[in-house]
Amino acid sequence: MIPVESYLLLSAAVFCIGLFGILTRKNALIFLMSVELMLNAANINFVAFSLQHGNLTGQVFTLFTMALAAAEVAVGIGIVLVLYRNFSDVDVTIPTTMRW
Amino acid sequence: MAAFTYAPAIVLLPFVSFLVALFLGDRMPKGGALAGIAATGGSLALSIWVALTVAGGGVYNEFVYTWVAGIESVTLRFGLLLDPLSALMLLIVTLISFLVHIFSLGYMNDEDETGLPRYYAGLGLFTASMLGFVVANNLLMAFMFFELVGLCSYLLIGFWFREDGPPSAAKKAFLVTRFGDYFFLIGVVGVVATFGTGLFAPITEGGEVVAQSFPVLAEHAVVDGETAGIAMLDTVGLGPQAWFTVLGLLVLGGVIGKSAQFPLHTWLPDAMEGPTPVSALIHAATMVAAGVYLVARMYGFYAISPTALAVIALVGGFTALFAATMGLVKQEIKQVLAYSTISQYGYMMLALGSGGYIAAVFHLTTHAVFKALLFLGAGSVIIAMHHNENMWDMGGLKDKMPVTYYAFLSGSLALAGILPFAGFWSKDEVLYEALIHGLGSEGGLATSYIVAYAMGLLAVFFTGFYTFRMVFLTFHGEPRTDTARDPHGVRWNVKGPLAVLGVLAATVGFINMKPVAELTGAHIDFLHAWLEGPEEGGWPAALVTDSHHYGELLHDVAGVSAGEPLGSIGTLLASAAVSLALAVAGAGLATTLYRGPDPVEHTDKLGSLKTLFMHNYYQDEYQVWLATGLTYPLARVMDKFDQGVVDGVVNGVSSVSLFSGQRIRRIQSGVVSNYATLLTLGLVLLLAAFGIIGGWF
Repeated sequence: MIPVESYLLLSAAVFCIGLFGILTRKNALIFLMSVELMLNAANINFVAFSLQHGNLTGQVFTLFTMALAAAEVAVGIGIVLVLYRNFSDVDVTIPTTMRW
Repeated sequence: MAAFTYAPAIVLLPFVSFLVALFLGDRMPKGGALAGIAATGGSLALSIWVALTVAGGGVYNEFVYTWVAGIESVTLRFGLLLDPLSALMLLIVTLISFLVHIFSLGYMNDEDETGLPRYYAGLGLFTASMLGFVVANNLLMAFMFFELVGLCSYLLIGFWFREDGPPSAAKKAFLVTRFGDYFFLIGVVGVVATFGTGLFAPITEGGEVVAQSFPVLAEHAVVDGETAGIAMLDTVGLGPQAWFTVLGLLVLGGVIGKSAQFPLHTWLPDAMEGPTPVSALIHAATMVAAGVYLVARMYGFYAISPTALAVIALVGGFTALFAATMGLVKQEIKQVLAYSTISQYGYMMLALGSGGYIAAVFHLTTHAVFKALLFLGAGSVIIAMHHNENMWDMGGLKDKMPVTYYAFLSGSLALAGILPFAGFWSKDEVLYEALIHGLGSEGGLATSYIVAYAMGLLAVFFTGFYTFRMVFLTFHGEPRTDTARDPHGVRWNVKGPLAVLGVLAATVGFINMKPVAELTGAHIDFLHAWLEGPEEGGWPAALVTDSHHYGELLHDVAGVSAGEPLGSIGTLLASAAVSLALAVAGAGLATTLYRGPDPVEHTDKLGSLKTLFMHNYYQDEYQVWLATGLTYPLARVMDKFDQGVVDGVVNGVSSVSLFSGQRIRRIQSGVVSNYATLLTLGLVLLLAAFGIIGGWF
């Protein structure tokens, strides 16, 4: 059996990729994808520990997270569409009016 | 006792008339006057019934209604205490109020005044409040109705609120009496906290005391040293007598405000701005009488404190003289009467302070009659003069309005204290009590009584003078203006009450002719017997509010004793002769100066004193100075402190947040990537912090 540390390393790697995407990219679509990556990193953790502990709680929780991610994408895509309509671009650094 | 079952109706009837006049007055004939007359008439009839029952030996002291039930604290309950004192007062209040209602038909309705429903509603509530105060069996309830009385005086004095004077006078009356009531409120709280009860007289069931009253508890504490149940004494660290004196003096604050005693008398002359029938009601029966009645009601509490007694006597004696001197120079008929009221209530306070409980109640009774008469008489004159109140514009009204003249004369003779009119008997008894107790007591008490007596005696002369100056200027001589030559006529509704009161003013003194009783040995001092009760058993044993008991307390605890250097009858006659001689001398001087077809003003001969009297000893100016010169700067300093220091600290604290917020908000740049960076940074820092605290590294 593959030890749980391997899963955790994988999850950390996926999370870091997502984080890197969010911190460095300007494209809103890449943002969405990066968020998905980070969410799935968490899912890997859930499933790994579910296996470790021998119960299904983590897996059930993962299902919830997926549903949540789907909803989040729906909202996210909507925001991206509005962004495009207003600025003819999906660069997140252009709209800076929503501030003090 | 069937009469007592219906006794609450005495209070409720005028209250109902208040509601009726207020809500339906517009649709009723006479603007609601008839409801008021019916209600006060009904109250009068019930009061007579109650008085007859009390005369038959019945008394009543029960709670009838619990308004606010306190859990392990004070419970506000309405109860009725019907004993000879309250029965007598009920008669006075209902009678005067009834007559004032009838008189108002002439003074208000016939003069086509507007706002009559408001007027009659005010009268009804005024009467109801005073009656509630009179029957109150505990201090808390009494305080409530005391305040209601003050409210009604405000409403009625300011009746003509579209003019300049009345609203200001109403506010003044309310504020000045409120100032006194503030002390009263503290006194009430103090009494209830000290004794756990505000009852005036013990409540008994089948001969067993179920609820003790505070005067009796105080008496036990002082006389028998039973202070175990009074925890408050340890808190304040005073002996029982000293603490009860403090409480008594606090309550006295309310009395001084309401009964217009020095230095809180300034509201009363201004209150003349109200309609004249209201003045009659305020001065004779409802408002001003409330203060003196309160002292009489809880006399057992004052009788154990010589200091409080001396203060009452001195305040009373001083006020009697002080107000009488101001009455000497006034030009308006109602002003003269206003100062005479202050002066006469000074006499009552003098009597109460110097151990003359019966004398005070007697003077309260006679004064109620003759002062109501004088005010209604003045009202009649004012109608005739088309609302001109200046006596120098009158003159010669004697022949044109004989009923008013003779009634007014009867009231004036009573006020001046001329034999055999009512005022003579009562004022003489007041002065006699002050004299013998001043001669018989010892130490400071005797000194204060003698000083107070001397001031009261001197005031008799002035009273005689200003009273007859008023009579001569108003009714005698030649008419001095066209209005006085052809006065406005008055109808039955003015003459009727005047006639009733005129006869009473001449005769009501006969209820307590003490000098005659002493001389002849006949038992005709009925008021004495009324307030003293039967010698054995009866109501005094149950209620402990009889004058005999008060006399014992005064003698044994306060050290008030009688001294009669000329023997009992000799002293009595000497005292009566002196006061009568002074009254006649005052009246005689007024006659010589102001009689004749064209009297001239002699007040200039007083020189600078006249200015002083005309300006009321600058009391108003002095009180205004107190407000604007002292209180206002003090309030300014307080305001500065509040705005500067208190608010400064608060503002200082908030300005830190304000300033830092202004700086920190700049990190909200609007760029999503920056937010993400900050979020990540925060998470890392948090993890690092947890790591350091948790010791992971």
